[in-house]
Amino acid sequence: MMTGKRLIISALALALVQIGFLSWIIAGRAAILRDGKQVLLRVEPIDPRDLLRGDYISLGYEISRIPVKLIGNIPAGKLASDDTPIVVRLKPGADGYWGPTAAWFGQAPAPAASGEADIVGHVSEGSDLSAATTIAPDYGIERFYLPEGEGMAIQNDMRVRPFGIRVAIAANGTAQIKALVDGDKTLFEEPLY
Amino acid sequence: MASYSSRVRLDIARWQQAGLIDAPTADMLTRDVEANERKSLSFGSILAMMAALLFGAAILIFIAANWEVIPRLVRVAALFAVILAGYVGGAVLKMRDHAAIGEALWIVAAAAFGGSIALIGQMYHLSGDEASAVVTWGAGTALAAVALRSNPLTVAALGIADAWLFLKGFEYRAEFPHLFVVMALVLFAVSFWTRSQAARHLIILSVLFYLVLLVTRYDTLQVAIPLVVASVLLFIAAIFAAGPVDRILQLGGRLPLHALIGFLTGLAMIQFELADESSYSSGFAIASAVALAGIVAAIVLGGRESRGLRWVAYAGFAFELAIIYVVMLQSMLDTAGFFLAAAVLLAVLAFIIIRIEKRMNAPDMTGAAA
Repeated sequence: MMTGKRLIISALALALVQIGFLSWIIAGRAAILRDGKQVLLRVEPIDPRDLLRGDYISLGYEISRIPVKLIGNIPAGKLASDDTPIVVRLKPGADGYWGPTAAWFGQAPAPAASGEADIVGHVSEGSDLSAATTIAPDYGIERFYLPEGEGMAIQNDMRVRPFGIRVAIAANGTAQIKALVDGDKTLFEEPLY
Repeated sequence: MASYSSRVRLDIARWQQAGLIDAPTADMLTRDVEANERKSLSFGSILAMMAALLFGAAILIFIAANWEVIPRLVRVAALFAVILAGYVGGAVLKMRDHAAIGEALWIVAAAAFGGSIALIGQMYHLSGDEASAVVTWGAGTALAAVALRSNPLTVAALGIADAWLFLKGFEYRAEFPHLFVVMALVLFAVSFWTRSQAARHLIILSVLFYLVLLVTRYDTLQVAIPLVVASVLLFIAAIFAAGPVDRILQLGGRLPLHALIGFLTGLAMIQFELADESSYSSGFAIASAVALAGIVAAIVLGGRESRGLRWVAYAGFAFELAIIYVVMLQSMLDTAGFFLAAAVLLAVLAFIIIRIEKRMNAPDMTGAAA
């Protein structure tokens, strides 16, 4: 049997380790929101629901389909993608929404210019790489959680007019949703914590 | 009703008075009874555990509701407080001899850890899949089981790992969850430190479930034949080297039972695979014959020591009768024939079970209780 004092000390240490781990994730995400580069992306809804975390809208972005032509470093003769990160360079358009200008598997050859931003996504293995197709990277920002019951209403609105997502991008390319916007109106703005 | 342990303690006192055993022996026996008593589940500790599970479920569902009235920073702080109070408070209670309530509080704390992961995912709209969140949760719970040397937390960690296996195993197009083997091995090692025999039993059954899932993705025979062979070897080891094997694995003498379940599962895989070819190939008939022979051998070799083993064998036998009937004879008989055949099969089964139970129980009453 473990002695009493040691048991309490290990319980305390355990609680602090778990709380510390959770706080570390929160701090990392808050840092992206605070310091990341802001980008506005056009979205379309897909389908809501989640067992553990409640209502959400699934979001598909314009940049969820990248034309294979944009990818600068596909080795000649390669037909299907590996399981790999992808860097997509974004530039704001005339309407304020940002769109892709170039993309690379792995890492970008040069850092983004001041008016641009690099977002890092993930491509799964086996995507078709022939020139006329598009591939579908994941950016980790494909869900927007809402209070219970509000998911469907917003999703229905999204089908009739364009919505946008304002995203903060960290220096390493990790993206973090900052706000859900409906035209000029900001519907949900995320606080840091 | 006096519990077994209190009755034995009275007996020990009497034996000592009568001079049958000396004082050190009496002391050792009493301590052994006490040590084993803690392992048994009382009604109160079961209720405490159920309350803890309900409490944990309430936390998780409350997080999922994403209720805006409570600011989320407050929700985070509340969950952190539950984690801290649950682990430390549980330790204090366990020290003061309220082991059941202490363990229950630890379960609540582990649930709050899972709830916090879900809440953070919700706060920052992390779209990573549920499965990876579940892995983090399970790792945290396994860590808690190690730090607190807790049997229920070990079982909880396994439950979370099983949930992950289930999520991944049935997910369309997902990569096959081979990582489960690593989780099972780690938890098996942890279970020795936390003295969780229950976790070891559940781990073995979970690994069988993993193998069943594996068959849905890979070639059946490549999985099933090694499973059958390994089960036979384990069974032989468990019967003929019962003492040493159980000292290593500490399964309370139930390894033959697991081996028999593994053996029957493997053969069932083979039988399902070969059922379609039964009209022109003898593979199905051979597999069925092996299964029946294995069941008989299991009863002969290990049936006397373990009632559980006998009932697994009967269940396997009933399953074999059913599958052999469906595959081999179905086409020849109409519905009435089916009922007649079922009646005859059940009668045969009942007759065999009654005969065996009588023979196993009659000469050796003490061994049958296992």
